Amino acid sequence: MSGICRPRLAEERKQWRKDHPFGFYAKPVKAADGSMNLMEWEVGIPGKSDTPWEGGLYKLTMTFPEDYPSKPPKCKFAPPLFHPNVYPSGTVCLSILDEEKSWKPAITIKQDLLNDPNVLDPAQSEAYTMFKNDKIAYEKKIRQQARDNVPK
Amino acid sequence: MSSDYELDSDEEYYDDEEMIDGTQDDASEDEMDMDDYNDDFRVDTGSKKKAYEIDYQSLTQSDVEKLMKQDIDHVVGITGVDESTAALLLRHSNWNKERLIEKYMDNLTTVVVEAGVTAPEPTSSPPSARTHSVSSACLPRGGSSSKPSSTASHSHPPPPSFQASSKSEEPEPFVCPICFDDSAELHPLSLDCGHLSCSGCWAAYITSKIRDEGEHAIRCMAEGCALVAPDPFIRNVLLPPEGSTSPPLDPKELKANQAAWNRFQELLARNFVASISSLKFCPYPGCTRTVKCPTAASKSSLTTIVPTVSCGSRGIPVSEDPKSQPSASLLKKEHKFCFGCTVESDHRPVVCGVAKMWLKKCEDDSETANWIKSNTKECSQCQSTIEKNGGCNHMTCKKCKHEFCWVCMGPWSEHGTQWYSCNRYDEKAGVDARDVQSQSRASLERYLHYYNRWANHEQSAKLSVDLYAKTEKKMEDMQLTSELTWIEVQFMKKAVEEAEKCRMTLKWTYAMAYYLAPGNEKELFEDNQRDLEKAVEDLSELLESSIEAEEIATLRQRVTDKTVYVQKRNDIVLDDTAKGFLEGRWRWNALLKALKRMLRLKRWPSGF
Repeated sequence: MSGICRPRLAEERKQWRKDHPFGFYAKPVKAADGSMNLMEWEVGIPGKSDTPWEGGLYKLTMTFPEDYPSKPPKCKFAPPLFHPNVYPSGTVCLSILDEEKSWKPAITIKQDLLNDPNVLDPAQSEAYTMFKNDKIAYEKKIRQQARDNVPK
Repeated sequence: MSSDYELDSDEEYYDDEEMIDGTQDDASEDEMDMDDYNDDFRVDTGSKKKAYEIDYQSLTQSDVEKLMKQDIDHVVGITGVDESTAALLLRHSNWNKERLIEKYMDNLTTVVVEAGVTAPEPTSSPPSARTHSVSSACLPRGGSSSKPSSTASHSHPPPPSFQASSKSEEPEPFVCPICFDDSAELHPLSLDCGHLSCSGCWAAYITSKIRDEGEHAIRCMAEGCALVAPDPFIRNVLLPPEGSTSPPLDPKELKANQAAWNRFQELLARNFVASISSLKFCPYPGCTRTVKCPTAASKSSLTTIVPTVSCGSRGIPVSEDPKSQPSASLLKKEHKFCFGCTVESDHRPVVCGVAKMWLKKCEDDSETANWIKSNTKECSQCQSTIEKNGGCNHMTCKKCKHEFCWVCMGPWSEHGTQWYSCNRYDEKAGVDARDVQSQSRASLERYLHYYNRWANHEQSAKLSVDLYAKTEKKMEDMQLTSELTWIEVQFMKKAVEEAEKCRMTLKWTYAMAYYLAPGNEKELFEDNQRDLEKAVEDLSELLESSIEAEEIATLRQRVTDKTVYVQKRNDIVLDDTAKGFLEGRWRWNALLKALKRMLRLKRWPSGF
């Protein structure tokens, strides 16, 4: 799908600029010479209000494979996020980002970013066990993380 | 024939005993006569087929496709759905026709939704019409060979939805939701769900699914839509029929799509073969054949038969990399494999379960533990393992400096001051300790006895490759030094092949003997084993011997005789063992408790 990949990403970029959810940002990274690399995007996700995540802005890079959208993009939080669905490396583990599971070519970046996390598919044991066993400590840790990620 | 035997002549193995005598007498006759003799003998048992021979069939990919077609036609005939729907339903239910039809009659909607034939809760039309539209869409192109253009000749009320170019005439111009292209030449297609995308995106998506993921159930590209693309749709996308409205493909693309379509057919056949227990793919690299062996289809049958089959092909494809070039012997090798397991291609005469157990035992370091147990003791204070390699019984542990007596394991201090009580036999404790130790020592020795012989035959069979090369050289020499022609020196090759085959049998007889309980059956088994082993060793020695010009004629005679004899002995071992399994004659020792239980229950425990 290499023929489709770039035009599709360009169009997604256009659509994102036209309309995107409040507080989010998403843009292709710029190389040193100022040229745009459509295959890698920088994304910011605001913490949902009325949750311990509120106030933080979590940074993520999306790397698109050459056969996107047949194959899903790879999403990675930088710095790594304390969250049950995020691997210690920062890589996101969600079924919609897995081509063997729910990934479909019709899913766009916007849908990727708004997908709700699930607890059934833990990727990081620390966050998962704390989430399961000690909700209070978990929420405290999330709030601390939100404070650490306040946009400057 | 067995009347002059003092033993019960009803028993199968006494007949075999007699055959041993018979064949030994006839060992000097030529092969033809041997066969005649054999036939005469076989008349007694009432069947010419040997007990170790298994009925099987070798199938090509087109044979497998024919079998698939039969099942599809069967479902079409009963349910009335079209062919491609039947195919999707069958693939979804792992080709279990009976259960599919039952479920279909029971709850039609659930089955078709689960299989991805129709979308759940159709909004635009009632369920019945929905199913009908599926049929109309797919029926005209049921077979992969029938021309999609024949759609036109059928005038069903709802137009086939994947000929959806008509939809592009809607007022708003079509924008493909995948590539966001909106040019006028786009050829939008959709499955029954109506999720349109352009043909280019479909082709790229389908090829990537087939090529990279080996997936045969290709679902709609829309998020959350579980509809599976039927075969005619996939063919239509990959290889657009002549005169279709979709843009023509360039030759390179066409080639890639053709490869994807072929791979798709292969994936379907693989899915079918994997689902049917009486079918198995030939495991040799590059081989596309399938073997059908209904007798070995059930797991329980594997406790009584050893399904060694061959797909009929030989050799493996020559790789382009000269480094990984297969050896010459592998190039000509027959595609022989065991239908029941992947342990080894030919582990006759033992059944899969025993072979697997034996190999597991050999791989395990459980025997290391056994050795430690029989050759070492533990320091009574710090539990370090100690091997006594000489000296007196006054031991000092290197680690904790504990001093103790090797004989009674008590502290040495008691031995030093007051004269020791080691010599006094402590009835209970002494017997217990010695029993445990000597038992484990005996079991280790027993295992090593069988293992050494097993490994020895394996090694010898491997060395047969060298022997083969040497023999070929010898055959050439023979042609030069004697009057013999090429065809006449073939006896050497035959002899080497036969010796290798028998070594494999012998190897596995040791695994079998390890697990057999002592008794008459085992003794007879070991008699047969001994006769075969002796014959094979004699033959091997003949093959290794140097050739003197004047002795070639005698050598030839002797090798031929031995080969025939060895063949016969091998036959006896295989045949008798196979019969024993069928009759349930073999008695197993305690080491094979699991198998014993299984044979009695006639059930194969999972994961065995």
